[in-house]
Amino acid sequence: MTGLLLAIVLALQAPEVEAILARENDPEALSQAARGFAEARRYAEAELLWRRAAELRPDFFPALFNLGFMHFSRERFQDAAPWLERASRARPKDYNARYLLGTALVRLDRREEGLRAWRAALALRPDDVRLMQVMSVEYSKGRYYTEAAAIARRALGVQADDPNLYYLAIKAAQDAGDEGAALQAARRAVKRFPESARANFELAFHLYKLGRVEECLPYLRKAMEADPRYEEPFFFHGDLLVRQGNNDEAVRYLEKALEIRPDYTAARVSLARAHLSAGRPRDAVAALDEAARLDPSNPQPHLLLSQTYFRLGDEARAGAEREISLRLRRENPAVLEAAQGRPFPEKP
Amino acid sequence: MKHGPAAIACILLLWAMTPAAPQGVATRNAAPAARSAASGQPFPVSLVDVAERAGLAMVFVCGNEEAKRYIVEANGSGVALVDFDNDGWLDVFLVNGSRLEGFDAGSAPTNRLYRNQRDGTFVDVTRGAGLARSGWGNGVSAGDYDNDGFTDLFVTYWGKNVLYRNRGDGTFEDVTDRAGVSGSVEQWSSGSTFIDYDRDGKLDLFVASYLRFDRAKTPLPGSGPNCDWKGVPVFCGPRGLPFGGAALYRNRGDGTFEDVSERAGIRAVSGYYPFTALAVDLNEDGWTDLYVACDSSPSLFLRNNRDGTFSEIGIETGLAYNEHGIEQAGMGVAAGDLDGDGRLDLVKTNFSGDYPNAFRNLGRGIFEDIVLRAGLAVNPQFVGWGVGLVDLDNDGRLDLFQANGHVYPELERQRRGESYRQPRLVYRGLGGGRFEDVSAAAGPGVAARMSSRGAAFGDFDNDGDVDVLVMNMGTRPSLLRNDNTSGNHWIEVKLEGTKSNRSAIGAVATVEAAGSRQTAAVASQSSYISQNDLRLHFGLGRARRVERFRVRWPSGAVEEFPGAAADGFIVLVEGSGIVQRQEIRR
Repeated sequence: MTGLLLAIVLALQAPEVEAILARENDPEALSQAARGFAEARRYAEAELLWRRAAELRPDFFPALFNLGFMHFSRERFQDAAPWLERASRARPKDYNARYLLGTALVRLDRREEGLRAWRAALALRPDDVRLMQVMSVEYSKGRYYTEAAAIARRALGVQADDPNLYYLAIKAAQDAGDEGAALQAARRAVKRFPESARANFELAFHLYKLGRVEECLPYLRKAMEADPRYEEPFFFHGDLLVRQGNNDEAVRYLEKALEIRPDYTAARVSLARAHLSAGRPRDAVAALDEAARLDPSNPQPHLLLSQTYFRLGDEARAGAEREISLRLRRENPAVLEAAQGRPFPEKP
Repeated sequence: MKHGPAAIACILLLWAMTPAAPQGVATRNAAPAARSAASGQPFPVSLVDVAERAGLAMVFVCGNEEAKRYIVEANGSGVALVDFDNDGWLDVFLVNGSRLEGFDAGSAPTNRLYRNQRDGTFVDVTRGAGLARSGWGNGVSAGDYDNDGFTDLFVTYWGKNVLYRNRGDGTFEDVTDRAGVSGSVEQWSSGSTFIDYDRDGKLDLFVASYLRFDRAKTPLPGSGPNCDWKGVPVFCGPRGLPFGGAALYRNRGDGTFEDVSERAGIRAVSGYYPFTALAVDLNEDGWTDLYVACDSSPSLFLRNNRDGTFSEIGIETGLAYNEHGIEQAGMGVAAGDLDGDGRLDLVKTNFSGDYPNAFRNLGRGIFEDIVLRAGLAVNPQFVGWGVGLVDLDNDGRLDLFQANGHVYPELERQRRGESYRQPRLVYRGLGGGRFEDVSAAAGPGVAARMSSRGAAFGDFDNDGDVDVLVMNMGTRPSLLRNDNTSGNHWIEVKLEGTKSNRSAIGAVATVEAAGSRQTAAVASQSSYISQNDLRLHFGLGRARRVERFRVRWPSGAVEEFPGAAADGFIVLVEGSGIVQRQEIRR
């Protein structure tokens, strides 16, 4: 908040706040008063009082932290970060200050600084699984895949009864290009949650990725049995059958996936591929038209529509679909690519 | 004022994963695909580097080999195996580059021509041949554009390109200005190919320019999202730099060419970074088409419309992207019949973290990528460049050779599991479009780690098996002699057009032997901006003779020739109907 704004607020609130400021030189008392204003949602007054407390004692943690926390809770991360930073310096072993600082910095798109603050928080609470989860997600967003996988694995080591931690570890290992670790985590998930559709699907998926197609099929079947309303194994099995050239059987699974989730674009595109390979281009067009309607920013239905119309001998429509597909790619060039991982910069 | 950190954490977890920022080069984090069970058969081929012994001493220069500031330093150059003096022995032409800081007067490296001395060695005849030209050379293509019986050369540059007319007396003449095919000095040309697109019997010329490179306007390493590789600051691009283009020159038949890019529809195609150009008839309509492997942009299938124009139909026909519709960093391309169905399929090399493409031709110019089924997706850790579909062991099934090398020498110092210098790959063809990786058994020349780019394929020692010439960044080339102990039979076929262009570029030959058929095309450029032997090599397995030849000439004529004994060099002349022995001077 600027000095001018504070001055205006001060003028408006002058009698009450001025009275406190005039009589109190004790940071504790100022902080207590500020807290009362904050609880009454009178944030400007609270800020003035905490600022005063911090002026009187620059390392007075309650003022520094509460100022930061107040701004943070109002999603004013730019204002929160400096106070939380000072709070962290004033009390290096305070977990909350470091945690909130990390979160504020991440929200400000200062991911690397945020992750460093979180690392410090984690050092204070080494078993904080929730923090490990968010760290893994943020490492992934920053393309620090190796770090994301390591911390997800660590979270799983601390708490082995949360299925979401398994899936996080699987995904992180996959992003890091460590298919072996992904498979291992998926195996552990199935062992711990043998009736889970998701766990069985994950195991099937990663067995397939390692080329163990026959081995993956029982887990796919188990996943479909365990939860007939879970679309992923139906889609995956259907897509796998398309790749194997078993198009008619593929259609059954893909249609089931679409019955569960009608807006599943990838399943519609795969269904179109099955129809196209089976010599039913008109059915392929229908599936792709629907996919394009449901997901208008996705270039893939238009790409396949272009190829389908070309096979049908309609080059004009093939060309038109091709142009749409190209335009959509240009609008979001990274949509179909995986970014390369990179090591986390240990030092700023 | 108490919010639990856990609650905030949950909110954070719900943030949508934002799409990754685009990077300088198109790739993905593809893991090696599973390998099928090994055939267990020994591979009877050992590729041994004999370049030094053979006298190929030229050192390739392409910018700084420790750290590359600009993309122009990264792409290397092409090589050629051509018989320039018609003695029946393949000679070697190497394209050389330069460096940003230049060279002292008289010390700049030049391209080199080495004449085959028919004893396993070569002699440098560059100066005498009139080919000692320095500059930032890139690719090479060969063809007899004036139909005088001697193979001419076209060399692309960052700068003006050069057309060399082979005088037939061991010397070449720079005819670029008269021919009108230099392009502009600002261009950075990459791929080129001779092609008789109008079937008038005269070779026309297609030239691709990779991108519009202006050093003054190109950002430095690490200065943007297109200038980073896994956290390492590297040169920027190609993404983020202005796209390249292409030109088509029509051969008037009087030594001059006419720029028909506009009229032919070539100029209208935009938004790509082209590398290798390949001229073959992909949709089997009797007219030669163009395929251009493009870096980090859709690759191009320029269909010959039979009326002097081309239509770009890569996306429609499945040749622009991989099987998932994902853009790739295409480098090199090879044509061959992967699955023995008589149609020309394509293999394209791509960047690391990605698979190559094995585009199976379904007919009518429609393709599907069968790279996983083909067993060629098992080594995505390498950046692939030069590539050849050649029958290394003469068993009648095409094998695949791939030259590799990363583009970022900075990786050598990072020790993060990626290396600038990479080994080569050899896949044995198993038939039916399937391959197995036999690199570990294919000899020391395959295991050697280099940062390679161009590669050319041909039988330089005329011993009946295909050898490989490879460009290596910052060092001499590799000449990988094929020591083949299979005892299989073979035949080498030179096609000579009469109504068609004399080099028969664009012709497709089919041989029938022991009940099986093989199909191959004569191409002016393929692999990575390189030139293979214009003769076609067929392994025949145990068959001692070819029963029949069939040639689809670029003129559109289809001609059958009687069979011939195996283990020899023959010439099929358009319209003659007879098989002649190729003269090999000893």
